[in-house]
Amino acid sequence: MLKSVYNIFLKDFTSYFRTNLAYFVLVIYALVSMVSAFYTGYYFEINNTNLFSFFYFQPEIFMMLAPLLTMKLWSDEQKSGTIELLLTQPLSYGAIVYGKFAAAWIFCILMLVLSLPLWIYTACLVQVDNLNILTDYFACILLSGAFCAVGCAVSSFNKNPIVAYILTVVALWGIKIINFDFILKSADISSELLIRISQSLNLDYHFETFTGGQIALNNIGYFTLIIIFSLWLNIVSIEYKKG
Amino acid sequence: MIVAKNLHKNFGKIRAVDNLNFCINKGEIVALLGPNGAGKTTLMRLLTGYYQPSSGEVSVSGADVFIDREKALKNIGYVPENGFVYNEMSVYEFLHFMARIRNINEKSFVENLVFINKQLGLSEVINQKIEYLSKGFKRRVGIAGALIHSPRILILDEPTEGLDPNQKFEIRRFIKEYGQKNIVIVSTHIMEEVEAMANRVILINHGKLIRDTTPEELKKISSGNTMEDAFRIITAEE
Repeated sequence: MLKSVYNIFLKDFTSYFRTNLAYFVLVIYALVSMVSAFYTGYYFEINNTNLFSFFYFQPEIFMMLAPLLTMKLWSDEQKSGTIELLLTQPLSYGAIVYGKFAAAWIFCILMLVLSLPLWIYTACLVQVDNLNILTDYFACILLSGAFCAVGCAVSSFNKNPIVAYILTVVALWGIKIINFDFILKSADISSELLIRISQSLNLDYHFETFTGGQIALNNIGYFTLIIIFSLWLNIVSIEYKKG
Repeated sequence: MIVAKNLHKNFGKIRAVDNLNFCINKGEIVALLGPNGAGKTTLMRLLTGYYQPSSGEVSVSGADVFIDREKALKNIGYVPENGFVYNEMSVYEFLHFMARIRNINEKSFVENLVFINKQLGLSEVINQKIEYLSKGFKRRVGIAGALIHSPRILILDEPTEGLDPNQKFEIRRFIKEYGQKNIVIVSTHIMEEVEAMANRVILINHGKLIRDTTPEELKKISSGNTMEDAFRIITAEE
């Protein structure tokens, strides 16, 4: 199983570089991340001991770039017909799904690696909170994993990569802002349980508490659940294609 | 040995495959014949586990294609209709990928690659990107991918479609040679191909098995003793 996952991972990870998508995404990520950190994030004006300027915009950046990596994983296979070749190999559907997901996720981690010089640069300027920054990177890794898993699931339902991209961005935007605070406010409900349930659905809430240096089990669980559910949905959609 | 038992496949109200039963043994080259829409491609997709049957079963050397999928598919090499392959890869990369997912070690891969290059004439394009190859070469790359693990069962959906006469001749010659020690199932519309390669014909129409015979017996149905006439007579009857 692990060997099969690795083989599929290798195929899809290297295919990013074969089609130049990798270079495009890496350059865009580096540019957007730095511009957002230095200009929009007021890098030199606020206390950046935990690289707040950089991490604050990561959900939005990954929301736009992770779907670029996942849109082709299944949609392209369906569009070009290679899905028939792939699904008739002696591989479990799980291995194929995990391999493709791993390709997108590892690529996202590679994108994050590009930002490490910023950490070093900041450490030269101020006394940084290294533990907090490590937590923030961990949060970004989990966040990008959740985004990639959602992207893979959406891509498996679509033959058209562009449609898959748009639908993934919409789905991620939905997950990012989802809560029912407005219902609670309009109905004047102050039940702490309902407020906590509403918060627990919201990606922004989990990411912000995570990047605040808080490694709470519920934050890790939230992103892990999104990954597990999306991968399960991905496998179901592949099973469904068998008719 | 590949066995289909009471095989059915429905797409909504359409019955694409209707109660097919057959058993194919080593050394048989089976031509799967039928008019357009007869259910040939659906049957091939059922045999290779791409489709789940509505009912019935397919087994390869005793392993059920749907229950014991990985074990059954290890024995099969399949070239789908149009022979889709990964265009962004080079021929070598594609074959290496196919070998890896089949758990073929490097030594066996190199040995098989030499054999396949010789049989299918891929040496001159081995390092070229597949997207830049001609249709004929792409088709051969697809067949090479299906052969890299030396499968006991080779299933080819219209393998000579779009090839020039020389390429067709080479592919037919290869199939005939390969089928001596293995099972080959070929879907085709070309009757001369059936005569040139097959030692058994399974004719289906509207998803049903109409004839399961030899090419010689099939020809006897027509007064002119030709495959084309026999095909027309039988499919017109249905």
